[in-house]
Amino acid sequence: MMNLPTREQAGVLIVSVSGRIDHTTSEEFSKTLDPLLETCAQGHPPVLLDFAGVDYISSAGLRVLMMASRRAKAQQGAFAIAALQPLVQEVFAISRFNLIVPCYASVDSACKVLGS
Amino acid sequence: MRPFAGLLLAAIRAGRGRAFPLLVLVVGLLTLGEIERTPLLNVREALFDQYQRQMPRARTSEPVIVVGIDSQSLVKHGQWPWSRDLVARLVRKIQAGQPLALGIDIVFAERDRYSPEVLSARFPDLPPDALATLPDPDQELAAALNGHPTALAVIGLSTPLPGSTQPARPLPEFSPANDLEAHLPRYLGALASRPLIEKSAAGEGLINASPAKLQTSSERGVLRRVPTVATINQLPFLSLPLEMVRLALGGGGVVPESGEQGMTAIRIGDYRLPTQANGEVLLHFGRASSNYYLSAADVLAGVHPPEIFNARFVIIGFNSTGLQDRIVTPLGESLPGIDIHAQVIESLLDGHALQRPDWMALAEKSTLLLGGLLLIATIPVLRPRYAVLSFTALSLLLLVGGTLAFYAGQWLFDGASQVLLLAPVFILLLGNTLIAADSRRRKAESQLQRSREEAARVAGELDAARRIQMGLLPDPRKIFADETQFSIAALLEPAQAVGGDYYDCFLLDEQRLCLAIGDVSGKGVPASLFMAISKTLTGTLTRRQGDLGLAVREIEQELNRENAESLFVTAFIAVLDLASGDLEYVCAGHDAPMLEREGRLSQIDTSNRGGPPLCAAGDFPYLAERIRLQPGDRLCLFTDGVTEASNGAALFGLARLQAAIQAMTQSGLETTATALRDAVRQFEAGHPPADDLTLLLMQWHGPLSER
Repeated sequence: MMNLPTREQAGVLIVSVSGRIDHTTSEEFSKTLDPLLETCAQGHPPVLLDFAGVDYISSAGLRVLMMASRRAKAQQGAFAIAALQPLVQEVFAISRFNLIVPCYASVDSACKVLGS
Repeated sequence: MRPFAGLLLAAIRAGRGRAFPLLVLVVGLLTLGEIERTPLLNVREALFDQYQRQMPRARTSEPVIVVGIDSQSLVKHGQWPWSRDLVARLVRKIQAGQPLALGIDIVFAERDRYSPEVLSARFPDLPPDALATLPDPDQELAAALNGHPTALAVIGLSTPLPGSTQPARPLPEFSPANDLEAHLPRYLGALASRPLIEKSAAGEGLINASPAKLQTSSERGVLRRVPTVATINQLPFLSLPLEMVRLALGGGGVVPESGEQGMTAIRIGDYRLPTQANGEVLLHFGRASSNYYLSAADVLAGVHPPEIFNARFVIIGFNSTGLQDRIVTPLGESLPGIDIHAQVIESLLDGHALQRPDWMALAEKSTLLLGGLLLIATIPVLRPRYAVLSFTALSLLLLVGGTLAFYAGQWLFDGASQVLLLAPVFILLLGNTLIAADSRRRKAESQLQRSREEAARVAGELDAARRIQMGLLPDPRKIFADETQFSIAALLEPAQAVGGDYYDCFLLDEQRLCLAIGDVSGKGVPASLFMAISKTLTGTLTRRQGDLGLAVREIEQELNRENAESLFVTAFIAVLDLASGDLEYVCAGHDAPMLEREGRLSQIDTSNRGGPPLCAAGDFPYLAERIRLQPGDRLCLFTDGVTEASNGAALFGLARLQAAIQAMTQSGLETTATALRDAVRQFEAGHPPADDLTLLLMQWHGPLSER
């Protein structure tokens, strides 16, 4: 099982993701993320994925984020990603996934927006 | 035959393979309890005999001298029976040496042939005076016996024969516990010496032996046990050798020790011998020796000094072919009967006999039960190799234990029968283990076979799917074979049998060329199905809808209709006006294509109006952008199977792609496409491709009018 340590900062549930999220690990990533999204709903703390440790994300990984984002949206919760590495940032830029999931430069800046 | 075999197998496997062996163990226990009636008795006796052969009793001292009436004596003194005055002479010669006791293994039942009455009856003509002067041989013998510790032989008879009598010298003191006499051999009468002779002897002893029952007619009974005490008409008599010892000790009493099952030992003075319940001694035989045999003729001739008999037991008996009774011992030796008497005396003096008390049978049953249960408990959970080892170890333990028990205290413990009775239990258990192992192996094999067939079937279906998918993709070499306004080369290599990438190129009309490249998220069969739909919708809707932006929105709407798996597609769709070089395009989350113009590379700008992949957002308002190509411009559309190809450490990346394109600007499109693919594969250096790899290259040669 993928390890996703969580912490809370300024009323935001921060989930630290690390490693490669590709075709082989995306399934696991999805399953581990799923219970955390239970609480991503209105009146609950927003969920922020700290992507500082993510080296690579493939289209399969993007799909997991898309589904997570959809679920959060359906539950009227807030879901975002922060601290993308350049390579991951590039993937987001090319695929325009920043239009699907809000991306922030750092955890702090994200907390400022989400925590309010 | 088949239903019977099935029934047998079911029986063996019942109760996890333990029920049947348990039953066999119970039968084994019952057999051990009734071993006397089974052929297993032969095994037991052979084992005990073997112990004796390996470890015979050591004969260190020779307390007994046998004076044998042998062939030499018969030659010298004539045929048997000798006149009793000759026997009397022999007795006197021996008694001159003052032996501890003298035993005579001969019954003097009838009147001597040389007695005056017999002679006168036979020869009536003999003068009575002459007869009157003749000595009476019986009187002679009686006189010789009188006053010495001498024991005579009697033979117990179970049915009274003519001439059977009641011997006159029973044990003076014998006080058996209650019921003990019921266990002892009983005789109704006996063959004894004439009253005159027996009254002058100090005692009488039985010489009945009890050889083992004959199992077959060809087999001679082996003498393993000898009686110690028996009753004749309720009067107790010792066996001859024991009676001799009793007389040597002054003619005192005999004490039988007894337990619940019967007699356990016999005590004469300070000497004691363990016995069976019926008073029999399991004799531990020593190797035969001729050292202590003297010829009666030599004794009569005075060859030996009388001192030779001093402080010894002396037995007179037959040791001549034709006269003697020969006995077969467990050591496999054939001995004259008198030798047994000598061995009994030696055994009593040493207090040495084989021991098989009543509780030994119980001990054997216990070890059989314990060993059997141990096998039943352990064999089914052990591997066959260890199962065989454990049975071998158990068997060795029983056999070695029995041998050690014999070595240490002459205990007779029957390990061999137990091993034989445990063997069927073990065979059944092992059989069940093997059957189970075999059926597991068969099951595994058939499962493997099934999964192989399954894999082959899936591979066959995937192969078909791959051919269909590849058939969906146009071959630009064929459809644009005579085209002069542009050239197109395309290449698609799925990472798995089928993939999620696609490309397309077709003419919307004579003026406009449509180019499309797409990449469904994920790989394999799910992606490939979505790819087929995307590709078809792209072709249909771009033909129908004049505005490219709107066409893309419609494509997304149609795709979203049936997208249970929430897949999405990155796509780059462009329409080239072949007359003007105007390129209208929509980018849905796809890598921006490379543009090569006069040797310089750039990326088409998708940053302003580019949207997310199709079906990712669901309702993105895609808009088309435009650039104008110049004649000779080359476009390179690619998927992330190129840029994200990995060698385990790094990704191929845009820079390497650009360098590869740069190197091929002078080559044809087909060659370039192949070279780019080769560059990627070389970079991967054997690492499996991460994703499907697709390349679509297009060069616009310029409007027809200008050329």
